[in-house]
Amino acid sequence: MSWSWDHFMRFLFSEYMLNGVWTTIWLATLAMLIGCTLGVIIAFMKMSRNIAVRTFANTYIWLWRGTPLLVQMVIIYTVLPKVGLKLGVIESAIIALSLHEAAYFAEIVRSGILSVNKGQDDASRALGMTWAQRMRYVIVPQATRIVIPPLGNQFNLMIKTTSLASVISMEELFRRTQQLAQIEFKVLEAYMCAACWYLLMTTIWGQIQKMLEAHYDRPFGPVADAADPKSGKPLGDAAAQV
Amino acid sequence: MEKPATSPRSGRTLGPPIVICDKVVKQFGSNVVLREVSLTVRQGEVVVIAGRSGSGKSTLLRCIDHLETIEGGTINACGHLMGYRVDRLGRRTELPDRKVARQRRDMGMVFQSFNLFPHLNVLHNITLAPVRISGEEAAEAERHARELLDKVGLPDKADAYPSQLSGGQQQRVAIARALAMRPRVMLFDEPTSALDPEMISEVLDVMIGLSDGGMTMIVVTHEMGFARAAADRVLLMHGGEIVEDAPPDAFFDAPESEHTRLFLSKIL
Ligand SMILES: Nc1ncnc2c1ncn2[C@@H]1O[C@H](COP(=O)(O)OP(=O)(O)OP(=O)(O)O)[C@@H](O)[C@H]1O
Ligand SMILES: [Mg+2]
Repeated sequence: MSWSWDHFMRFLFSEYMLNGVWTTIWLATLAMLIGCTLGVIIAFMKMSRNIAVRTFANTYIWLWRGTPLLVQMVIIYTVLPKVGLKLGVIESAIIALSLHEAAYFAEIVRSGILSVNKGQDDASRALGMTWAQRMRYVIVPQATRIVIPPLGNQFNLMIKTTSLASVISMEELFRRTQQLAQIEFKVLEAYMCAACWYLLMTTIWGQIQKMLEAHYDRPFGPVADAADPKSGKPLGDAAAQV
Repeated sequence: MEKPATSPRSGRTLGPPIVICDKVVKQFGSNVVLREVSLTVRQGEVVVIAGRSGSGKSTLLRCIDHLETIEGGTINACGHLMGYRVDRLGRRTELPDRKVARQRRDMGMVFQSFNLFPHLNVLHNITLAPVRISGEEAAEAERHARELLDKVGLPDKADAYPSQLSGGQQQRVAIARALAMRPRVMLFDEPTSALDPEMISEVLDVMIGLSDGGMTMIVVTHEMGFARAAADRVLLMHGGEIVEDAPPDAFFDAPESEHTRLFLSKIL
């Protein structure tokens, strides 16, 4: 079995594979969007005063983080139809990836919110803000900066994790690679193609992430170089002492 | 029982009681931090609270603004029974967040650590609550904010961010931010303790100006110069109780409590 550049190049730009790349991109993006939205909701549920709501959130996070995504995916695709919930491949993949992401993102959001200085909450309460006003005008704008870097990492993971959807025959990049490899018996060429495409996607995302982080890592305010840009924590009281 | 309507110290005319703490009990777990504290502050009065670390000064202020729940007693401030509803049988239930938020709008609070909003510039720090919470017109709120910045001596800092200000400047902005809600009572929790010595007086001057303007103030501080200059009464807290409550002259020159004598001997 010798390496064939010819096959490699043909695979790399074949429409079949490009479609798989595209599927991976929108699957990851969609799952991320839904997952993050649900994650925010679960994070707030976990911080609720109501014990039933809190317990639900805790249980959710426990279950989804405590079992492999592969297992979750197969259960959603094969078991749920047996209890009357009929889902297609695409729906199952989106649901499994979103629900999985939500559990992780909920913890990220929660720790972001908890890491905002408690004095901020005191000050906004003393000004007469309700919980919703404090969150909206004071806490969330500050927590966003803390959440951005891990959010970027989650999307990097998500791009690669979509490959697991191949087990329920989702036609994304990994499954198409498997099929190409089988049809032409050029296993190495096909998988090297897949590696290249995944690498390209994560690299491009990495650049976007860098820009986002640079943007959110500045101290608040127009004069970025007033505080130490290396410290990474130019916010609030830390900056007050500079 | 009726106290004089004029402060013997400052000659200020005092109005009716505006903050009334009645046998307030506060516990953190089994740690009793306030032991049936009673305190009446009249409109226009300036009350300084001193006491050593852990004596419950901050806790008392926070309870007045209902930033902490209380286990016993009642707090009346600006006409509100702070934080609770009492039914006919005398049972207390805590008010929902929304209602407490409304009550707090009549009081302003200034913290040791300033707690300015780092993501907003000075102007927006000041106008956030009036515009978003009281529904004030943006233009009017800005006009008021600039007037307050003048008053605290920072007319040219409207566009600066908190991270660009010194501690003394940040604390003066924090005072302006609290005043923007037009509070009837101002609570100060060690407003100068986090400041470098050379910045303390710029903040104290603003506070003295406020008291001259007739603001009702409860001030936790170790700045005894401020107490002498501006206070109508000075209180000493010890172990969760108010052990001394006297006009400044009496407080400094003829304290009744052993604890006050000890406190003064250490601080002066
Ligand atoms: N959130 C809290 N949880 C548990 N205990 C607390 C809490 N806040 C205060 N305490 C305790 O209550 C007591 C009084 O604290 P408080 O902060 O009111 O004292 P203080 O007089 O303001 O002291 P300082 O001069 O150090 O500010 C202390 O024993 C403190 O440990
Ligand atoms: Mg204190």
